[in-house]
Amino acid sequence: MSRENTTAGDEIKLRRVAEWLWEIPRQGGMRVPGRIYASEELLPSLQDNNSLRQVMNVACLPGIVGYSLAMPDIHWGYGFPIGGVAAMDYDNGVISPGGVGYDINCGVRLVRTNLVFRDVEEKIPRLVEALFSSIPSGVGAHGAIPKISLGDERRLLREGARWAVGEGYGRQEDLEYMEEGGALQGADADLLSERALERGLRQVGTLGSGNHFLEIGRVEEIYRTREAEILGLFPDQLLVLIHTGSRGLGYQTCEDFLKVMNRATGKYQIDIPDRQLACTPVKSPEGQDYLAAMACAANYAWANRQVIMSQAEKAFIRVLGISPRELGFFLIYDVCHNIAKIEEHVVEGKPRRVCVHRKGATRAFPPNHPLIPKAYRQIGQPVLVPGDMGRYSFLLVGTETAMEATFGSTCHGAGRVMSRAQSRKISRGINIDQEMARRGVVARYQGRATMAEEMPHSYKDVAAVVETMERAGISKKVARFRPVGIIKG
Amino acid sequence: MTTREIEHTADLGIEIETADLSGLFSEAAEALFGLVADSDDINPKEKIAVSAMGQGWEELFHAWLCELLAQFNLKGFVGKRCEIVSLLPERVEGLIWGECLDLERHRFYTEIKGVTYHDFKVWQEDGMWRARVIFDV
Repeated sequence: MSRENTTAGDEIKLRRVAEWLWEIPRQGGMRVPGRIYASEELLPSLQDNNSLRQVMNVACLPGIVGYSLAMPDIHWGYGFPIGGVAAMDYDNGVISPGGVGYDINCGVRLVRTNLVFRDVEEKIPRLVEALFSSIPSGVGAHGAIPKISLGDERRLLREGARWAVGEGYGRQEDLEYMEEGGALQGADADLLSERALERGLRQVGTLGSGNHFLEIGRVEEIYRTREAEILGLFPDQLLVLIHTGSRGLGYQTCEDFLKVMNRATGKYQIDIPDRQLACTPVKSPEGQDYLAAMACAANYAWANRQVIMSQAEKAFIRVLGISPRELGFFLIYDVCHNIAKIEEHVVEGKPRRVCVHRKGATRAFPPNHPLIPKAYRQIGQPVLVPGDMGRYSFLLVGTETAMEATFGSTCHGAGRVMSRAQSRKISRGINIDQEMARRGVVARYQGRATMAEEMPHSYKDVAAVVETMERAGISKKVARFRPVGIIKG
Repeated sequence: MTTREIEHTADLGIEIETADLSGLFSEAAEALFGLVADSDDINPKEKIAVSAMGQGWEELFHAWLCELLAQFNLKGFVGKRCEIVSLLPERVEGLIWGECLDLERHRFYTEIKGVTYHDFKVWQEDGMWRARVIFDV
């Protein structure tokens, strides 16, 4: 990587466009330039070139409009970089499952409570224990709720979070506070393989493994009081953050459709620089089938997070011995950060229908956008950005600048800075429980290996990531919260 | 026969080198299960037959890894030892000895979400067969 104006390096040239924005000029097969949001502080994390090469590869896809974008939490993924955003023209562009990922609609939801941290501090270990026992986590986790029937699963895939509410998990009003109301339209369960359906039957309400978690956090800092008030936040408030996705059903759907896309790439004679970018015209039968199958998996993820939230509420009520009204378990918002959406955006001054791939990026729509809840219209869409499990997470809101510059998208997390093998090596000398306790976090987890790979040293400082987007005007910080309890796979 | 872990920021990858092609398939099976759980703890008390189909060695190798992963994802089965019974350019059949994961007895490492095509390669070099694969974890 080399930076014109500022530094020199080996092969990929970065041109500085603004203080927080870097451009890879069009070259080779790139149809549009690449643009990366990064502060000086974050730039060294791009040094290995792999993620920048992936930004360039995405820029080669047919029908891409504007720029191949990367958020400041960009890191090396497979096919698309993680932290990548790419909008393809609906009529002439392609859709790529690699631009969504295996964990379709991996996402985050944030729940507020009426509780003040200092009032329940002593009960955090019991809360964490109760959450750990009622929300299955870890590899192949299952059994949060009784195994559902195939008929129920099909209904769940069509209705998403609404199915869960209908089954008694949560409340009708929750649906208002989710992207797409917790269900993408057009889901068609007939497009899923038997294997995908089988994997989905027993995993509703489970966290899974890897970087997924449920966190109890406390509001540590409020940056914008008006926005915080509208979102129902106050200092030292206890919150719950849930990060998980579509589990095995989503992974299997991605795998099944990568095979379809491999054939389609040949059939439609699409030249791609990386096989993981296998794609098909959005309007082709394969593209429409993928959208309908992806919607099923997205809906599964919303149902999953809805059930987990409801189980968490019950655990809080049980441990604290208070009523639901006293607890005030209220969904602030639920966002997806691995998804492809058909949206309207203005490109070069003209409205265009595009397929926006967000792979490790979050939608960040501005105030007054019709697709955000009425209660939040004056402040913009809430954006949830979890950090590593030992530091802090952020609540942001979207802006008009995001609509103009990033197809209404912003960052999604801290972004890894080292491989899992490296993280494990560094973690070897660390007593994980002691380290988490030192940071004031009560942690319960299934596997030490996963914890070792997910320790704070594995990640960029999420504060630097959200600050970059704040300075760039893409999203605005509302509050920061610190973890006090965590359950993981 | 060597297997090494590839340094990848978000995911996990392996590169395998073997003298013959069937060794590549059996070594890959053992390496994949070794990423899921500590194979030292796995008792090879159950034998399962796994087969996969694909056009050409690369596709076949990819399909083989997906089938192996499915054994874990659908049944919780973790292999310790693999023997290739038949290997043709469009079909592979193998036997795997292992057992179902039991978190009480086994050391679990990583849940693998998928076998990616990113940087995926099966090739011959200096008389050796090699494969490179990155898993989404």
